[in-house]
Amino acid sequence: MARNGAFAAIAIAALVAVPFVAPHAEYALDVLFLIFLYGAMATAWNLVGGFAGQVSFGHAAFLGIGAYATAIMTQNGISLWISVPVSALLAGAYSLVIGIPAFRLRGPYFSIATIGIGEATRLIARNWSSLTGGVSGLTLSSAPPLLLQYFAALALLVAAVGLAAWIRASRFGYALAAVRQDTDAAETLGVATTVAKTQALFLSACILGVAGSVYALHYLFVSPDSVFGFSTSIALVIMPIIGGLGTVTGPLIGAVIYTFIREQLAATLANVDLLAFGVLLIAIVVFEPRGILGIADRIRRMRKPPAVTVPDG
Amino acid sequence: MSYGLALIYGVLKIINLANAGFLMLGAYVTWWLFTAYHVDPLLAPLVIIPVFFLIGVGLERTLVRRVLGSEPIISLLLLFGVWLVLQNLAYVIWTGDTRSIENSFIESTVKLGGLQLSIPRLYVFAMGVLSLIALQLFLTRTYLGRAIRATAQDRDAARLVGVDVDRVMGIAFGIGIALAGFGGSLLSLLFSFTPDFGRVLSLKSFCIVVLGGLDSIVGVAFGSVALAIAEAFGVRYMPASMQDLISFVVLVVVLVALPKGIVGTLRSLRRG
Amino acid sequence: MADPILEGRGLTKRFGGLIAVDGVDIAIERGEICGLIGPNGAGKSTLFRLISGVMRPTAGTVTFNGRPITGRSAHDICVAGVAVTHQIVRPFRDMSVVENVMVGAFFGHRPRPRGRGGARAAAMEELEVCGLADRAESPARSLTLGGHKRLEIARALATRPKVLLLDEVLAGLNPTETDRTLDLVRTVRERGTTIVMVEHNLRAVRGVCSRIVVLVEGRKIVEGDPDAVLTDERVVSAYLGTAAHA
Repeated sequence: MARNGAFAAIAIAALVAVPFVAPHAEYALDVLFLIFLYGAMATAWNLVGGFAGQVSFGHAAFLGIGAYATAIMTQNGISLWISVPVSALLAGAYSLVIGIPAFRLRGPYFSIATIGIGEATRLIARNWSSLTGGVSGLTLSSAPPLLLQYFAALALLVAAVGLAAWIRASRFGYALAAVRQDTDAAETLGVATTVAKTQALFLSACILGVAGSVYALHYLFVSPDSVFGFSTSIALVIMPIIGGLGTVTGPLIGAVIYTFIREQLAATLANVDLLAFGVLLIAIVVFEPRGILGIADRIRRMRKPPAVTVPDG
Repeated sequence: MSYGLALIYGVLKIINLANAGFLMLGAYVTWWLFTAYHVDPLLAPLVIIPVFFLIGVGLERTLVRRVLGSEPIISLLLLFGVWLVLQNLAYVIWTGDTRSIENSFIESTVKLGGLQLSIPRLYVFAMGVLSLIALQLFLTRTYLGRAIRATAQDRDAARLVGVDVDRVMGIAFGIGIALAGFGGSLLSLLFSFTPDFGRVLSLKSFCIVVLGGLDSIVGVAFGSVALAIAEAFGVRYMPASMQDLISFVVLVVVLVALPKGIVGTLRSLRRG
Repeated sequence: MADPILEGRGLTKRFGGLIAVDGVDIAIERGEICGLIGPNGAGKSTLFRLISGVMRPTAGTVTFNGRPITGRSAHDICVAGVAVTHQIVRPFRDMSVVENVMVGAFFGHRPRPRGRGGARAAAMEELEVCGLADRAESPARSLTLGGHKRLEIARALATRPKVLLLDEVLAGLNPTETDRTLDLVRTVRERGTTIVMVEHNLRAVRGVCSRIVVLVEGRKIVEGDPDAVLTDERVVSAYLGTAAHA
């Protein structure tokens, strides 16, 4: 743990220093910004999909609510100090509205219901034109400086990963792990499983709500098909799985890989990136469901067979 | 269209998220045969059904079988990956442009009493009913069909009485995929489509299957009718763009409220 | 019985047209080891599920320590003090043995243990009792069947139950493991935990239980002293009846 903490501190310090060392490398800063944002989002999804094992295909709903809430409040001249926390809480509140019925469902049924919920949310956003501007979306006029965005995304990432690391080692983390591995057994050992799942979803939604704020302020444009889009939900599923489901660092690794593949492939031919992610997803699920961290663990074991290594991610 | 989903769920106890991909692919293959080789869209299923069946069997052998033993969520994710691949392969090959099939048959209508009915709609409806009957006959009257039903009810018991369970699961998966392709081919007669075509429809399929009860073929027919009625009613009261919303809302409500589906709920009411 | 610790009245569970448990009255005395026996399909495990809150009864009530607990959630009932082990073992497979038990320690009893260290210490105590302390750090999935059964017990004990429901903890064990587990059951009773055990091994039941309740086809047919019950005509014919079917 102490070693992980030291490593994290060095990494954060290095990332804080980047804009000062290379203030004109705007492309690099932009890529890093995206990695931070996606990393935070993937970490948030992983609280529910990885830690608690409740795979959601509708998580874009929370990002969308955060993005729209911030966009609408900013258009009405409300300070970010108010609009960002309110965005997080709105997304959190929405998670309670959908989580309470949806968590009556188990495993794959929950997953399918989340597809329905995600799509229903997108369609509501498209049709509620007076509030959301309908299909054409909402446009904001001025972005905060890039440096501020960079630090905001980094702070969000650090907060999300810190929260995940804390949860994993806590009593709450044990509840989620027990829910993931055997919900009924967890229940008979005194774990209030539905409450635990709902809490995880709430935290996850709040983080995504803030991520939505950052998104809106970066792109200055939100539309139902971008923030509420199914492809956003897909990205949120893919990143943690690539990196390592239910670990702390897995979603981060996934976000780095996701961002790079997207940056490289999106320019060549539309949808090649998603095609690649599909292949990657199949390969990981079939050969190593623990993702990149699982592969790393295997390699480590091959190198020094006697040592018993436990991925502490 | 939804039958395939019910069959695969019933037999393999996995939810085929790739259904959407094969539905879309069925539509594209029909369109491609039509534009490139001038194959009549009505004949396309003759190609699609066997080819998709083989693809389904192959997919089961190579990938699905490997994850059958692990948690259900793993197979869900696997088939989700397959869907991603199919969908985006379609984007790469056929681009995201909207396609539709146009020939004289598609536009033809027939007057029945005072009603103007579209012939393709009638045709698709008739094929839907026919395939339901055919599937029901297959499942109840043939050895293979009975083996499939036995495997669906109790895999181990089926194995004990000498059913080659592995082969049956492969075949059931193949039939499921073939039905999805067939459904897609039929639907291409009615709607224009993009690589995203299958998603909404497939969610509707889930909705239908859940409405009907996850492994009952007759229940699936019930479910289709129920959803069609809900949508038709909904459209009167809200804009057409909200039509899909109804499906999703119905899906979620049904999943939460009637996990056993209409048929299952009726069954337990009758017993209770 | 003046003051039963756990009492079920008129407990009934229907599945569709099938009645699994049919109007069972059962009262468990403080500090006893009560055996619950009956042929396969008699509704023993279902009765456990109704008591432990895993299933809601179609009709009937359960009271624990004089308070009604019918229809409360399984986790509430566990925290209240009724723990259950699973007939088919259900370890958390990705956790180590001690972590499995920590889940019970973390959530099953009040007051909460102090942090991870507290839960761990409590878990280690139960592992000592169950003879699994040396396997504490092994992955749960690496245990033998006997080990898994003892892990089920250790997990349940970590919730500090007043009543422990054991569902066929002896099934599939060899004679040595059986004796070991029976010793464990006696030790647990010494600590003041009341025990109800569903069991097929009648010799073991006779050896350890102070009272036996017999269920046949969802109904209670006899209860009382082990020797009397096991020689009861109705019990013998119920068992021979199933033997003839098999």
